[in-house]
Amino acid sequence: MPVKVHIHATHRRFTNGQEVVEVEGNTVGECLNHLIQQFPGMEKAIFARKDRLHNIVEVYLNHASAHPNELVKSVRDGDEIHLIIMLAGG
Amino acid sequence: MIKHLGIIGDWVIGYYLEFGIWVLGIGRWRDTMLTPGERERYDRQIMIEQIGPEGQEKLKRSRVVIAGAGGLGSPIAIYLTAAGIGMIRLIDHDRVSMSNLNRQVLHWEEDVGKKKVQSAATKLRNLNPGVKIEAIEEMITETNVSRLVEGCDAIVDAMDNLPTRYILNRCAIEKNIPFFHGAVNGFEGRAMTILPGKTACLRCMYRGSVPGEKFPVIGVTPAVIGSIQATEVIKYLLGIGQLLTNRLLMYDGLEAVFTEFAVNRNPDCDHCGSLVQKE
Repeated sequence: MPVKVHIHATHRRFTNGQEVVEVEGNTVGECLNHLIQQFPGMEKAIFARKDRLHNIVEVYLNHASAHPNELVKSVRDGDEIHLIIMLAGG
Repeated sequence: MIKHLGIIGDWVIGYYLEFGIWVLGIGRWRDTMLTPGERERYDRQIMIEQIGPEGQEKLKRSRVVIAGAGGLGSPIAIYLTAAGIGMIRLIDHDRVSMSNLNRQVLHWEEDVGKKKVQSAATKLRNLNPGVKIEAIEEMITETNVSRLVEGCDAIVDAMDNLPTRYILNRCAIEKNIPFFHGAVNGFEGRAMTILPGKTACLRCMYRGSVPGEKFPVIGVTPAVIGSIQATEVIKYLLGIGQLLTNRLLMYDGLEAVFTEFAVNRNPDCDHCGSLVQKE
């Protein structure tokens, strides 16, 4: 069973509108790389540079914060990753 | 003789001091008792089992600071004022502009150009004259934040930028005052409650600086998030319900979905990490 990545609304233009993308990998980083292989536009959306997420991007694994060191966190089949954008408005 | 009069004098002074302290104590007790008018005003919430007259008196004794009198600050201030919080200190350095009016419902077209805290205080005092409203027109900085939140039981985050939120977060932790976070963008919002030294703080999720920018928003979003923050404040003050501690509540207005994420305390957090190590 693959890992599901939930795409934030602002990023869905890079995934052809898909809200959930199925990926494979043993870590969050590998899963995000697989996501980018499928949808290359996601790379600039979530990564500031290689192995460095934008500060505004938050990663949650199975509904729990994966911060810090998000990319090396282990994942198993059936896990769910949420990519969320930090909010600052009031 | 002189010595004898001195003893009597001491006794008389002592008696009056004790009597004065007793009178002051009664005065404070009477101040927090509900008047017949307050019992009528708050009747429907006093009917709530978890509130009752004792809870209403707790709210009357409470002091809350709201940092920001804009999109989030408006519903937070309105509902806390309506609920009968004893004192609300509202802080904002800005003036009302036309582009605020789509969401900052405390300010009306006639208020454009006025100080936000003045505009807000006028409405809040009209809504509930029994609540003491302190309107402070200052920009929150690392230098003045401690003074601005002094003596309050809760700090509510109604800011529009992250740097000031972190100033408030650090101060809340240093002064051990609960901090009620909220933020919005477009149709999306989030809320989390922070109990210093006990639960994850806003900085525990810090990943680095984020450029400030003009953000899109429609008024219904801060209405939802601000109402959640006000609910959290009331729950905390009354000691009831389950707070949004170690839980980040995300709201997606377009999908009409609430999602909850667990947030962990970060031992390396530069705001509360030292408190983690002490435990």
